[in-house]
Amino acid sequence: MSNDNAPIVKLEEVTKVYRQGETEVRALRGLSFEVQAGEFLALTGPSGSGKTTALNMIGALDTPSSGKVWVEGRDLSGLSRKQLSEMRRDRIGFVFQAYNLIPVLTAYENAEMVMRLQGKAEEERRRLAMELLAEVGLEGLEHRRPDQLSGGQQQRVAIARAIASRPAVALADEPTANLDSATAEMLLDTMEKLNRETGVTFIFSTHDPRVMNRARRILHLVDGKLDRDERKD
Amino acid sequence: MANRSKLATLAWRNIWRNRRRTAITLFGIAFGVLFAVLVTGLGDASYGQMIDYAAKMGGGHVSVQHEDYRETPSLDQTVRADDALTASIETDPEVLHALPRVSGATMLATAANSYGAFFMAIDPSREDESTTAFLGAISEGRMLEGPDDKGIVLGATLAENLDVELDKKVVLTMTDKSGEIVSGLTRVRGIVKTGAPSLDGGLALLSIGHARELLGYAPDESTQIAIFVRDHRDSAQVAARIRGQLQAPSVALSWEESSPELAGFIAMKMGSNWIMQVFIMVLMAAGIFNTLFVSVMERLREFGIMAALGFSRLQLFALVMWESVWIAIFGLVAAAAFTGPLYYYLNTKGIDYSAMVGEGAEVAGVALLEPVLYVDIYFVHVLAIAGIVVVATLAAGLYPAWRAGRVPPADAIRLV
Ligand SMILES: Nc1ncnc2c1ncn2[C@@H]1O[C@H](COP(=O)(O)OP(=O)(O)O)[C@@H](O)[C@H]1O
Ligand SMILES: [Mg+2]
Repeated sequence: MSNDNAPIVKLEEVTKVYRQGETEVRALRGLSFEVQAGEFLALTGPSGSGKTTALNMIGALDTPSSGKVWVEGRDLSGLSRKQLSEMRRDRIGFVFQAYNLIPVLTAYENAEMVMRLQGKAEEERRRLAMELLAEVGLEGLEHRRPDQLSGGQQQRVAIARAIASRPAVALADEPTANLDSATAEMLLDTMEKLNRETGVTFIFSTHDPRVMNRARRILHLVDGKLDRDERKD
Repeated sequence: MANRSKLATLAWRNIWRNRRRTAITLFGIAFGVLFAVLVTGLGDASYGQMIDYAAKMGGGHVSVQHEDYRETPSLDQTVRADDALTASIETDPEVLHALPRVSGATMLATAANSYGAFFMAIDPSREDESTTAFLGAISEGRMLEGPDDKGIVLGATLAENLDVELDKKVVLTMTDKSGEIVSGLTRVRGIVKTGAPSLDGGLALLSIGHARELLGYAPDESTQIAIFVRDHRDSAQVAARIRGQLQAPSVALSWEESSPELAGFIAMKMGSNWIMQVFIMVLMAAGIFNTLFVSVMERLREFGIMAALGFSRLQLFALVMWESVWIAIFGLVAAAAFTGPLYYYLNTKGIDYSAMVGEGAEVAGVALLEPVLYVDIYFVHVLAIAGIVVVATLAAGLYPAWRAGRVPPADAIRLV
């Protein structure tokens, strides 16, 4: 499964059609690409081009109308609902555009939530959550609730939470969309550092050119198809 | 397990997110419980009072009598009521007293008038207000003294009608065991005034020895043994136990069997109370359902994110069920705080309703000697009400919890 060239994520001719009454929206129209372990990759494209839909397919939040998605070599269409739930818990980390956190839990409790679901021991949860919160620059704010944190701080808690579960892939859907550019830069620094230090694969979507250019590989989507695969070295 | 306790914590914090809504829900539960406890407690106390009162008026909670006495309550339907039997009945831990009595119809005559009356012959040395309701209602003169007192105590209206005063003569006439008409002379020792027309106008109290002598009974012969139990709800069981000690033609009847009209009246009242309470509980459950359902619908995106993090359907279901559990528990706490003081007041001070009903009120042939209603609920009824609250709250949570587990994450997360 994990020979050096096996992709960690693979999409093959993925389509997604949403039906709204009589009208059909074709969100993805045969999207194919592969991502190798450790990549730091941006999905970009105009609004409505299918970025969120593509991330939802990879994250097992939604199923393709046709085509296949593999994560770590496993065909998601062959997994039961329970297996998909476990896949999300153990192999995928999510960061959404905003309001990612459980409002009644503190930063620390949010960061360790997924580890708790994984059944990790208290000591390990504590060590890793505190370490990651420090890593994302939130030392001393562990006991704040989300409404006592700024937007950027909330996103950093979400990143710590996504990484804490030791996933194969961290998916971030427009993680900087609600942040000012300085805060967005800092968030990208954090993601980059975690990618470098932990080796976790990052796939994030954005339509902000400055954020996009921090990626080492950029997939340009247009109308639900891959328009350009841009690699920087 | 760590995981489950975190769901409980999460649920606990969630219910306090909308304090006002939760407070209204808890208030609804508290109000429903208050209503249920007061209505049930009023019923338990007043039906208990009526049953005890009926017992004191006649045959006790359990009555040993001739098998034909219920059909034809005549003075020739007698049973053996010796001391050995009453003492043996009194060894039953639920039994307080087992008292021989003779009761029946008599004709009372004075120089002025004659009236029919119901007489009850007791051993005054063995009875007190807990076994004979009107012993405390002597308004003139005194009670009979001892089992062979030759005097009579009359209801106030009856005495007035007969135009007698204390120490005046009254002639008693009744039909004895063998069907002969017998008469005896007696003197008025005391007058009772209960406020209940049927008693004041028609009751005569004799000593049991005197009655036996007049009727030609053996010294251990009676028309019944009146048995008083600690808790009237045990009457049927006690009656069943006593049956084993009796020989035909003696039978033991519980108060339900000897006063079927009263039993029917109470059963009907309790039935209509329950219907009303079920209705209140259904309203309460609908309120809780609404709270939980609205709170789930408001959090669809949050449940979607939780599903994305790896919460299973079952865990999301359990989370909302935990919210119901907390509402049930906290609702009961609120209910206790709300109901406790009022219950305490009504349990100790009672409601004096004498002004409402006036003098001489009777319900189902039972006079209400004490026009104060106390609320005194049976503990099993408290448990039943608490149980219904918990079941109703959990039932109200089922559908919202199911919905929370089935939130489609991709769609829910798009909702911002
Ligand atoms: N649940 C849905 N129902 C109908 N149309 C949808 C749904 N989700 C997404 N779409 C449509 O699919 C297209 C792609 O959406 P999306 O993946 O969100 O694009 P992006 O994230 O690049 O802006 C859009 O036209 C959008 O309106
Ligand atoms: Mg999008």
